Amino acid sequence: MTTISTSTSAFYERSSMDIADLRSRAEGLQADLSRGQRIARSSDDPVGASRLRQLQRADSLSQIDIANAAKASTNLQLTDSALGTFADYVIRIQELTAQAANGTLTDAGRASLGAEIGQIRGNMIQLANSRDVEGGALFGGQSAGDAYTLDAAGNATYAGTSTAGDLPLGDGQNVTRGLTGPEFLNFPVGSAQPDLLAALKALSDGLQAGGATAIQAARDGLAALSQSMDQITTAQTVVGTRLAWVDLTTERRTNLTEMRSAEETDVGGTDIASTVARLQETMTVLEASQASFTKLASLSLFSLLN
Amino acid sequence: MASDLLSIGRSGAQAARIALDVTAQNIANASTDGYVRRSAKLAEVSSSGGIGTIGDVSLSGVRLDSVVRNADLFRQAEVRRTGADAARADAEVAGLENIQAAVEQSNVYNAMVGFEASLQQLVGDPTSSSLRANVIEDARTMVGTFNIASSALDAVGTGLRFEATDAITQVNTLSGELARVNLRLARAADASSDQTALLDQRDSLLQQLSAFTDVSTTINADSTVELRLGGASGPLMVQGGASGTLSMTTAGDGTITFAVSGMAASPVAASLTGGSLAGKAQALTKLAAIHTQLDALAQTLANTVNTAQGNGITPANTAGQPIFAGGPPITAASLTLALANGAGLATAPAGAGANSRDAGNLNAMRTALGQADPVGGMDALLFDISGTVQGRTVTRDALRTIANGALVSLQAQAGVDLDQEAVNLVRFQQAFQASGKVMQTAKDIFDTLLAIR
Repeated sequence: MTTISTSTSAFYERSSMDIADLRSRAEGLQADLSRGQRIARSSDDPVGASRLRQLQRADSLSQIDIANAAKASTNLQLTDSALGTFADYVIRIQELTAQAANGTLTDAGRASLGAEIGQIRGNMIQLANSRDVEGGALFGGQSAGDAYTLDAAGNATYAGTSTAGDLPLGDGQNVTRGLTGPEFLNFPVGSAQPDLLAALKALSDGLQAGGATAIQAARDGLAALSQSMDQITTAQTVVGTRLAWVDLTTERRTNLTEMRSAEETDVGGTDIASTVARLQETMTVLEASQASFTKLASLSLFSLLN
Repeated sequence: MASDLLSIGRSGAQAARIALDVTAQNIANASTDGYVRRSAKLAEVSSSGGIGTIGDVSLSGVRLDSVVRNADLFRQAEVRRTGADAARADAEVAGLENIQAAVEQSNVYNAMVGFEASLQQLVGDPTSSSLRANVIEDARTMVGTFNIASSALDAVGTGLRFEATDAITQVNTLSGELARVNLRLARAADASSDQTALLDQRDSLLQQLSAFTDVSTTINADSTVELRLGGASGPLMVQGGASGTLSMTTAGDGTITFAVSGMAASPVAASLTGGSLAGKAQALTKLAAIHTQLDALAQTLANTVNTAQGNGITPANTAGQPIFAGGPPITAASLTLALANGAGLATAPAGAGANSRDAGNLNAMRTALGQADPVGGMDALLFDISGTVQGRTVTRDALRTIANGALVSLQAQAGVDLDQEAVNLVRFQQAFQASGKVMQTAKDIFDTLLAIR
């Protein structure tokens, strides 16, 4: 005859296993809450952990994209303001050339106008050789030195590379980081691409030479300056478009970052409400089983038999 | 009439005393590990009538037939089998978790992303010496984490093999003990308390053995046990008073195999499928696979970067020298940083000239890295190991529940129930008192006869 259908040691064994199991469940839930993260080790949720790794990789690469975009934006703004100054110079030279084209002006007057144009040309060469935020030539493409070099006779020669180079903005998008000198200083005349700096030297020299050739030089110069002005304005439009493109990708990147952090929370974060509810449930069951264990364990036939 | 009331009463009192002793023994051993509840089996002593005495009353009381050990062989075998499975899963999961920690906590994935990011940052200003130094330092960190991951994996392997060696010593000790118990069992008298104690010891040894390896047992008529390792067709480990020696062989890649020597002319290979030894062997096999993958990743990364580096030129207009070195072959452990200075990074394509800010070759390197995708490979490796851990944990929990169930069910049947023993105490005490009363009655009857005058 068996009075209770189980042995004493089996009862204690089973109770201790159940209570230990409940306790470890409660501790796991508590750890989830205090960490704020559902995934402590990859094996807690391999798919989620892998997704988190990819999101964090995208995040850290995106940080670099932000820095690159800021760099590209600064360089393009530097280019834009330099182009504005170039346009001012060209307008000033146009005024001077228009005065010089006037037949009533004396040779000496023209020569002084020519000298002033020569000075302005010197300023323009210095501006063309200005530096970008990284210390490289702003209009020299990918070369390290000055964009334009001057020979003994005062002729300016382009010394940079043919392209300015691209900066990655993330997701396979690029932006060209600036302009090379020839892209806005060379202007089209028919099929030829004369250089504004060379044209200005010819104008300045021609005006200082005096005589009938000086008036002709001034008239030729006016035509060239008008062409060059068009070229510079076009270049400003190009730079403005690129700046807008950088802004667009920045906005897109911000949106993507928001989406990524939302997904990170979804995949790896602890759902506080449901976790607290489950913790409370586990605690209730644990308390109940502890109480019932104490009651059952104190129930011994020995204490009743006298 | 051959009955003797006094001796019947004496035998009853004696039997009740023995039953009380057995009950007391049960109570005393209620929480002893491996103790199986005993009960006294009593038998009537009487003789049937012979020729001419048919119908004669011939009662001689009661005697102790045997002390019964309430062990269920099937439940015991179940406890051993499920226990071996659970121990295997436990050991495997523990090993796999260590492997996961070795790869994950070395942070090699984050370091690889860091290197990738610093290369991308260098595109922004290829001639910047600080960005170049950043690339070199991130490469150094990555090399360090590869080395750490590799040595951590090696440490996990060493630990697993050390534990396996210890388990093998235990198996050999327990087997030797079992052989000695076999010898004594063959000599013990049937149903004696000596035999029951030896049987307890035998079953306890078998249960301890099943934690290390799966055992297949055959119980002989004389209660001795024949033990085979790794299933019914596995090599013989214990037979009668002889026991074999289990040994372990470590292969070049760190995996282990087992063999039993001493029972046959030559050592017999044992393929263990249960117990902690099998679990450790499985974990070591996975470890070898993970280590190979890690080495392959390190090699891919180093070769891809070095090849791209060799195609370009440094700012000093010299051909790029390898960034990584090691071996040969390049493994996660042998990987080193060969380039000490950021000035040696070949960012510009060949022919770009000195100090060129052209990032052509750097972009080619990043494209090549993107195609070989060692970072994605590392993610896949981490996913592989963590997925394995998760799957095995589910199996482990299921096997543990089954093993616990089997253990509780064995204990419910073979263990001591104190309430029942309390009832037995009362019952046998009453039986003892009743037998005493029988003797009192016999005396009274005798006195009555003597008093006739």
